[in-house]
Amino acid sequence: MPNKNGKVYGLTILSPIIDDDQATPSHDLQIREYLATMPTGEQSPFALAPGTHLARLVVMDDVIYVGMPACEEHLKSKYLVFETNCDSDLEGYMSGLAASVPEQLNAIWSHCVGYPGAADQKAFIGYMKACQIETTFFFAAINDKSVPETLRALQTQRAVTDFVANHQGMEPAQLQREFAQFVTELKSEPLLKAASMGPHRDIKTGGRNE
Amino acid sequence: MSKLNETDIQGFVLRGYNLPLARYIFLHFEDPTRARGLMGRLLHEVTTGQRWDGGKPESTVNIAFTHRGLSAMDLPDATLLSFPVEFQQGMKKRAGILGDTGLNSPERWDDLWREDRVHAWLGVNAVSPETLESRCAKMLGLLQQADGATVLASQDAASVVIDGKPTTREHFGFTDGFGNPDYLGVDRSSQPGQGKLMPNGTWAPLATGELLLGYADEAGELPVAPVPHLLASNGTFMVYRKLHQNLATFRAYLHDHAGLYGGGPEKLAAKFLGRWRDGTPLELSPDQPDPSIAQDPNRSTNFTYGADPAGTRCPIGAHIRRVHPRDAFGFNGRLINRRRITRRGLPYGRFVAEGQPASDAEDRGVIFMALNASISRQFEFVQQQWIEYGNDAHLGNDKDILMGNHGGRGRFVLQGDASPANPPLICSSLPNFVELRGGDYFFLPSITALGMISMGLVDPR
Amino acid sequence: MSNINGKVYALNAITPMKPWKTWVLRGFFFLLWHVKPLQQDLINLSFIEFARWVVLPRNRLPFLGNGQLKENLQYDYLLFFSNFNGTWNQYIDAFSAVLSQGLNLVWRWSEKFPGSVPVTPFKEYIARVQFDTDYYYTSYPHASANDLKSAHIVQASLDSLSQRAQGCSPEQFGDAYLRFVLEVQAHLGETGEAPTVF
Repeated sequence: MPNKNGKVYGLTILSPIIDDDQATPSHDLQIREYLATMPTGEQSPFALAPGTHLARLVVMDDVIYVGMPACEEHLKSKYLVFETNCDSDLEGYMSGLAASVPEQLNAIWSHCVGYPGAADQKAFIGYMKACQIETTFFFAAINDKSVPETLRALQTQRAVTDFVANHQGMEPAQLQREFAQFVTELKSEPLLKAASMGPHRDIKTGGRNE
Repeated sequence: MSKLNETDIQGFVLRGYNLPLARYIFLHFEDPTRARGLMGRLLHEVTTGQRWDGGKPESTVNIAFTHRGLSAMDLPDATLLSFPVEFQQGMKKRAGILGDTGLNSPERWDDLWREDRVHAWLGVNAVSPETLESRCAKMLGLLQQADGATVLASQDAASVVIDGKPTTREHFGFTDGFGNPDYLGVDRSSQPGQGKLMPNGTWAPLATGELLLGYADEAGELPVAPVPHLLASNGTFMVYRKLHQNLATFRAYLHDHAGLYGGGPEKLAAKFLGRWRDGTPLELSPDQPDPSIAQDPNRSTNFTYGADPAGTRCPIGAHIRRVHPRDAFGFNGRLINRRRITRRGLPYGRFVAEGQPASDAEDRGVIFMALNASISRQFEFVQQQWIEYGNDAHLGNDKDILMGNHGGRGRFVLQGDASPANPPLICSSLPNFVELRGGDYFFLPSITALGMISMGLVDPR
Repeated sequence: MSNINGKVYALNAITPMKPWKTWVLRGFFFLLWHVKPLQQDLINLSFIEFARWVVLPRNRLPFLGNGQLKENLQYDYLLFFSNFNGTWNQYIDAFSAVLSQGLNLVWRWSEKFPGSVPVTPFKEYIARVQFDTDYYYTSYPHASANDLKSAHIVQASLDSLSQRAQGCSPEQFGDAYLRFVLEVQAHLGETGEAPTVF
């Protein structure tokens, strides 16, 4: 089952983008513009809806001409690529998205051919199925942990490091008491929010000249 | 591979001279023609890589240029633009990439380095103070005659002298001078542990092209190099960094944490570096220093980490394990063969023995110079990914304890075992033991290239 | 609009393949999937979070009517999507250094692939066939694949210790705690920002 690796699902969706000369800017540019401003942090639709480990959206303008003796050819439409690594299969994942973030889904996919909107879940899932491409080979470094389990583990790791660092050389009885308290407090802490870590970072590009 | 023409390569590239004194003179070119004329005069003074079978010279001279220095000598634009991006930008512009922020940021550098005026580095090494002065005087004489350059500043450096004898110790008390790679054709004898690891466990010299431009490198190609070939071949790039050492902070930190550590202060220091203060590697002798290993070149660098994956003997984040992981990343060490550098350099400033009072404000540290065919692929990579970061070693964002730009934060984990003399320990709230006071990227041309530059004969292709 | 989010980089590549070659590639992927030891090197490189190859047969691009023109392509296409830690150069250097044979087995069927060794022409090819990401999301931008693996180890060890901690004497706890620290001591690296890209 190549789309699946352990508990993780590799969903690949290719949606043809509407080609309309009358649209200004063109639909693919409108998607690009929207995506450029869509938040990537806690307010990302993929953070608000459940089950996304990592996901990307790419407007694929055309195939690439690698040079002679390969033949030059072109796509007749542009396609929106949606590559996501998620916690359940297509139906479960898409239902979750449609229920939590229909506005963002519509803003993006309304520029695609035949998109029925997120309101009608059945039609929405049918559309996505029609656009699904089978993943031929799917590699996952960790394939048995869900997004919430992962966020919890990250939270735990940080807390444990602090605890160990601050309890060095402590005699056992006190250590035991403080450890018990630590575990209770950790359990009651609200789960780290998805995509919550960190402000936007500057990127310096240095070209390929390395 | 072709035999090296050692008379065409600057000696500084091929040998650590082991001369106890040095002065690095930084020049600014006033006029392209006169600067080139100066190079013509200096050409005969430059020490080549020719072997000293007749005895060591009393002093040596070598020269290197920043990109703006090459530009100031009016090399053609196309040639200048064919140099690697990082060399064109210079070290100051790369500060974000290198983690040279906060206490290491360019605003806090020495004046010499804050202004963008350094065009050339003239390195003079000597066997005695008198020889140093006389050779430098001769250089200054040539400078005056050619009237092509002014001296911006100079930096003195010297081996630490203990009991009247020069040693390879640095200010924190560690014995330095291990860890320079062997390259094919460069070294007469190969020291086990210095080259690359072979599948059968032996060590072989690294490809010449990891150090010298114009020769095959570890990736099976000629390294990316500026054009024309003749300008680049037999040359290399040099990273110069003046690293101030906060000796008082270091000693205090060690003292404060020794109390928490069951192994004692000397072992704690050893765990920071990966070697005891006398140079014995922890991997070979985890419980005490052992001069018979430290002083034997066949043993002092001859080890791997494969038997110590948990970091129990040598912590995973210890300095030498970070900068030369050997087999620690698997794949028989193949991931690290293109990340090696050759280090030159000497300490500067007054040495203070253990127990004597020292202050962080006193000017002391080490002049760090790294030679490599590709600054970005070798030095910058190690600095960014292995010193200021720890992901390849599975240490997340943790930095190198000795060199890292901690800013008072961060952690160093000493892995240990269940024995009371080797417990695990976490060091937190790390201060900057080392601070960057300036530096830049230089190109060390071959003798031929130096001649071409001096005669204005550099043609881009 | 970036290929980078926190510690992870989204690389997209598309290469053309003569349709008969696609079947050879499918065969290789089948083998790779079912013969687990072949994946070991990929696993040991430990800086890929998720990666996938998608064979796009030339007559199987989604066609939804509604005025969309039907595609008429000569080549099949191989899409590659990777989510990896580190810089672009570091990633390709590492693959070229230790996984060149595997890479060749995947990409030699693509037109004009120069081989994965030596690395400079390989990098030029990738730069030519790479296309950029418009939107990249990760639930854990401050954690690399190694950080995640470590986090799960720490979580498992902690769960184990909390269970054992119930109802044991202080001395027993002291021993169990030391063993816990030894289990997690190589997994306590901080998470955070990635180094500045160059």
